[in-house]
Amino acid sequence: MSLSDIKLNSLGVVKEINIIDNKIKIRLMELGLNVGTKILVKNRSIMKRTLLVVFNSSCFTLKENLAKEIVVNYA
Amino acid sequence: MHKVYIIGNPNVGKSTLFNSLTKSSEHTGNFHGVTVEEKHKIIKFKNEEYDFYDLPGMYSLNSFSYEEEVARDIAIKSQAERFMLIDANSLRKNLYLCLQFSELNIDYKILINNYDYFKKHKNNLNLNKLIEKLNINCKIINAKKIKIEDLDLKNDKKISNNSNFQKNLFNYNNYLSKYIKIIKNKYNFDEKTIIFALNGIYDNLNAEQINFIQSFYPEVILDRYKFIDEILENVVVIHKDFTYGLNKADKIILKPIVMTFGFILCFFASIYLIFFLIGPLIGEGLTLVINFILINPFMNFLYSITSNVWLIEFFSNGVFSSVLTVLSFLPQVVLLFIFLTMLEDSGLISRMAYVFDDFLSIFGLNGKAIYIMLLGLGCNTVSSLATRNMNEKNLRIKTILLNPYISCMARLPVFVVIASAFFGAKAYFIVTGLYLLGLIIALIVGYVLNKIILKTESNTLLLEFAPLRHIDFKHVLIVGRDNAIDMIKRIFFIVLGVGVIVWILSHTQFNLSYTSTITDSVLFFFADKISFLFAPIGLNSAGIVSGLIVGVMAKELLVSTFSISNNVSNIGALATSLTLCTSVVNFNFASAVSFLVFTLLYCPCVSNLAVIKKEVGTFWMIFSILSQFSIAYLLSFIVYNSLIQNFFYALIVVSIIMFILSISIYLIKKIRSKKLSCAFCSKNCKHKK
Repeated sequence: MSLSDIKLNSLGVVKEINIIDNKIKIRLMELGLNVGTKILVKNRSIMKRTLLVVFNSSCFTLKENLAKEIVVNYA
Repeated sequence: MHKVYIIGNPNVGKSTLFNSLTKSSEHTGNFHGVTVEEKHKIIKFKNEEYDFYDLPGMYSLNSFSYEEEVARDIAIKSQAERFMLIDANSLRKNLYLCLQFSELNIDYKILINNYDYFKKHKNNLNLNKLIEKLNINCKIINAKKIKIEDLDLKNDKKISNNSNFQKNLFNYNNYLSKYIKIIKNKYNFDEKTIIFALNGIYDNLNAEQINFIQSFYPEVILDRYKFIDEILENVVVIHKDFTYGLNKADKIILKPIVMTFGFILCFFASIYLIFFLIGPLIGEGLTLVINFILINPFMNFLYSITSNVWLIEFFSNGVFSSVLTVLSFLPQVVLLFIFLTMLEDSGLISRMAYVFDDFLSIFGLNGKAIYIMLLGLGCNTVSSLATRNMNEKNLRIKTILLNPYISCMARLPVFVVIASAFFGAKAYFIVTGLYLLGLIIALIVGYVLNKIILKTESNTLLLEFAPLRHIDFKHVLIVGRDNAIDMIKRIFFIVLGVGVIVWILSHTQFNLSYTSTITDSVLFFFADKISFLFAPIGLNSAGIVSGLIVGVMAKELLVSTFSISNNVSNIGALATSLTLCTSVVNFNFASAVSFLVFTLLYCPCVSNLAVIKKEVGTFWMIFSILSQFSIAYLLSFIVYNSLIQNFFYALIVVSIIMFILSISIYLIKKIRSKKLSCAFCSKNCKHKK
């Protein structure tokens, strides 16, 4: 399931990062978003195009198009 | 001289630390990417000179934006003592950058900031164990209170970039060796080149070599984090519910309705309080005091020693009136900066960027544009520089181009004087309306640019949330004081300087003799020659045109030029004189509205143009001048002609112009799509990708 599909406050674990834009993929990885990282969607903007996600104990904004390219397993 | 660099991730408190150590008051804020260029200050300590550098924040040496590139290039290439400031609340992420510096064999010490917040949220750090594992000098500090003595600075002889200080500590060979071996086998590069390339620094490598090295990045990053996790094991215990950046109040603040209405209410209330209630009261008081203690005694003294009309006129009108009219707006400007600083310090800006990101993406912008626009309310030049924290080129150019449409504080005196003269009690709504008009035009321009020539390729708002913080009123007052000093300097160097030149030009005839009739002066002669160009927008008066020309240098000069032309020395008298047809500069209702719209939009000031040229090049600077002038002219034309009952005439002319513009845009798009397509496809070419 992609990160953009998981419910708010449901803890997920990153299974795959399929982001096409390599520069952004690398930056996300440098910020600590790697395969196996625990990730939580905290909030969605009104048009759901931007998500507020928590990983590596910090909170980041993430565009929905990128969130769609991140595969997450969640309980 | 002994150089000292303060480096680290964004928003960890580097500028705060720099300010504490150097007793400076550089711009700080609770937002990612406040510092966009290096700042430095020389301090003498124990008979030695130390040149402290505050560098922009970077998450990694593999730069993602221009500001990160600036920081990296300085941080790694010069010989200096380096202090890596890291945030106790995000140690894992911060240690990533430390590790990269260690891989490059660059010496540094670690300072840990925000420890109180970390402890308060039930987290634990075993500092001794961390020092033992890293084998690097680490110190817990409070960036707001630290003194230079606490740093244990080295002297010049002890600094060397080639020390093996970290090499054995992080022992990068453990995890980089396999990549070094593969790359060495393929390209036969030396080890240093490979390690630098694995950190995003490629000197003299071609695209193919870079691509090959970059293909290892994901694995290298994973290995680095694996190494960091080994270091942090049994050193840091993070409470299971801890998330740095989010507060309980966010449950309410992040609701779009709360944020939108809260912001609108707060913004308009602030404009009213600053510009129409508290500001003018203090401004009038300030004018009275200056008149009482400085101007009146000086003029009395001048009258007592000379009867030379030129000299008396020069001081009373050329010097004092130009300075006083602008100086009376000092309280408003300081209050506006205080308001913006409170907003920045609170941590609300990252929340606004998130909430308004969707809305702004419609116009090809992203949430960070909110920060740029808010800074632009103070000064467009500063906000143009702040776009350096944007990672996408087109997005950055677009944001720089629409930034001057946001009304800066220099335009405020013009708005307040004209609006008070022609709208009386409704002046507040007019000034607020002008701010809104500027914002609407900026968004439309952003939308059009996005559709035609500056499409945002990858609109990514990857922003770390800053925690909500109590406002530090001491800091707010320091910012207020500094902005007051800046404005006073600006008044005495620019307003006074240009005011004197304008006065001389407007009181000198071609035979270089003095004239008290401004309409006979050199300035008015030239302004009169081009004033016909402004007839369609109702501004065909030499007095207004000369003001507009001078206003390109700095918008506040419009007010001082008008006060010189109308021979008045305070805001009230100037406002009244502008409504009288006997004054040199005067407006009727329609031309006043047209003038307000034109002034809001017509051209960035000279300092902003210089920044636009420096940041994005001459082409975009010229584009900015031409596009702003055209839009200002077109809108003023519609407004003026509608107000003088020539609405249908305006409609026909504007329709023709819009028709020509649409055809031009269509042709530009067609030419561009032909250029973008390949031999196999007419449009939507997939081969290009």
